[in-house]
Amino acid sequence: MTEQKDTTLTSNKVLSLSQSIKSGLTIGEKYVSLLNQLASTTEADELLDAMKQLAAIDLTSPFVKFPQHYETADYYLLFMDRLLELNQVEGISVQEEDDHSLSMQLANFGDKISFKFELDQKQGGAFFAEQDDHEPLFYINLEKTALRFSNRALVNFFIVREIKHYSDLDLAAAVKPLISFAHVLKDQLHFHIDLGILDTENDFLARLAQPELDLKVIDKLFVETADSDYRLLNLPHNNGASLQLDRQVHIELGFDPDDYSQQWSFRVVDDDSAVSFFDVLLHYKLIRDWYLDNRDALAVRSDPLIFAD
Amino acid sequence: MASEKKQHGALEISEAINQQIAKKIDYLQKLMTALKNHDDRQIYRLLDNQRYAAEIEHREQQANDAGVMNLVDNLADQLSSYLSSKLIDYLGKAYPFFYYEEYQTGHYRIYFGNWWDRRQFGELDVLNIRFVFDQKEYKKLEKSFELANHGKRYNSKRIEDLSAENDHLQALIDSTEERSQKRAQLQNELKDASNRGGLFESAKNRETREDIKDQISQLEDQDEEARNAAANIKKNNQAVLELSKENTILSYEQKSIVDVFGSFEDFALANRNLYANYLKSLEKDNGEAKAQDNDGKQVSDND
Repeated sequence: MTEQKDTTLTSNKVLSLSQSIKSGLTIGEKYVSLLNQLASTTEADELLDAMKQLAAIDLTSPFVKFPQHYETADYYLLFMDRLLELNQVEGISVQEEDDHSLSMQLANFGDKISFKFELDQKQGGAFFAEQDDHEPLFYINLEKTALRFSNRALVNFFIVREIKHYSDLDLAAAVKPLISFAHVLKDQLHFHIDLGILDTENDFLARLAQPELDLKVIDKLFVETADSDYRLLNLPHNNGASLQLDRQVHIELGFDPDDYSQQWSFRVVDDDSAVSFFDVLLHYKLIRDWYLDNRDALAVRSDPLIFAD
Repeated sequence: MASEKKQHGALEISEAINQQIAKKIDYLQKLMTALKNHDDRQIYRLLDNQRYAAEIEHREQQANDAGVMNLVDNLADQLSSYLSSKLIDYLGKAYPFFYYEEYQTGHYRIYFGNWWDRRQFGELDVLNIRFVFDQKEYKKLEKSFELANHGKRYNSKRIEDLSAENDHLQALIDSTEERSQKRAQLQNELKDASNRGGLFESAKNRETREDIKDQISQLEDQDEEARNAAANIKKNNQAVLELSKENTILSYEQKSIVDVFGSFEDFALANRNLYANYLKSLEKDNGEAKAQDNDGKQVSDND
């Protein structure tokens, strides 16, 4: 009797163990199939689907030990890499580090600068950040299908830091695949994207962070143009200033004359809507130096990267 | 007899009046026709026949008939406003850097440029086709052209002086610590010298003491100056910005004049000839077809 009872007890245990192993293996199978999907699908929505599930999967099973595997941040990189590959966007590459984590390189920087996704534990989603100062160039949230660039990080990284080491053309080439990534997300996966100062539309306003602007700051730019061929002009309603940069490109710093709050903004206008405020900072030293010298007053507003519900 | 004479006189007078009135009517009718046709050249001729004869037809001593011309005296503002449209169109091309504001009917302020900071440069006298420049502003511009020949700017000297003063003030701020050490040292020396004082103090020691006191008081003066230095540097920087702004305005103005006229002298010459140049341009407009024929011929003649 006792013996039999023990046997029953043991076999129950075995059954339950095998059940646990089975569920562990099921997770493993699912994991394998998701990895395959992420690595080989040619459909953007399946790619996103695999990415989302991989981000959510829990591989910690006491009964099944999985070999060294990638982490969620790595899947983000793979996701981005594959999505750009599917759309023939060039200029990025992914490589494995000594600790088996993945990192991304932007063409002209080579191995000198690497980028990774850094997970946001509180809100979900991840920051795309370079790995020296951890400037979060953009934030992506798959659940909310949203991506937003950080104006502050873009300026800090490209305009303040890397302009010392790379030409403006190199930097423009480096940022290009990031912009393409955002556009692909918008066009194919219906993401809401906020390009910030990378936006090239003529009606995009890069709003200043400060509520008021001391006009002396514009005087300083005016004075800087004395020895140049540039002429800083008044906007027609005395609502700011305008500078012709090239035959077909001009930049304005002004406010809407009908708006009582006088919100100051930068605006870049060109025939093809192809030039952003970021491009102007990158390519025109006069504007860049003036902007950085007076950054307290001129800083463009950087909206919080985390999206409110 | 007397009454006959009178009658005769009255006839002469009424004849004279008739003539005068006919002249006035003729004048006004010509003016009305010219206004109807917007024949501005004819209007200018009627408004100042003497000048028109001298500058356009090169006939001197053609006196104005005050009797008819003062008929429109009280219409000056309206005529000026009327004539301004074509004139300002012309000026827009000939002087692309001037902007006008009609601040009351027929009265125009001139602004130099549409740039960030610009100057009011005087007024436009439409009826006489001339600029009435603000002499102070005009002289500044003339002077800045002169200085540019020597590679200088209008406010260069003052900016240099203020910058030098700021360097001096900054040095005072930077040497605060150094001064306080020096002062402590001097005070010690003074104490030593004072100990050697008393009733039988040597002349030399007294001199030394006075000298140390002078040095200390000099340091105190510098400390006082250093305390206000930051505020003064800020004030000077503001003044430099204002002066630099004026330099920039003048440099924009110079560039504009050089772009259009080549030199300040040619600009001044064009201003003197504005009346003739403008009215000749109207002549061309009116007989355009005819002018075109002539133009072709003129070119080949010149060749």
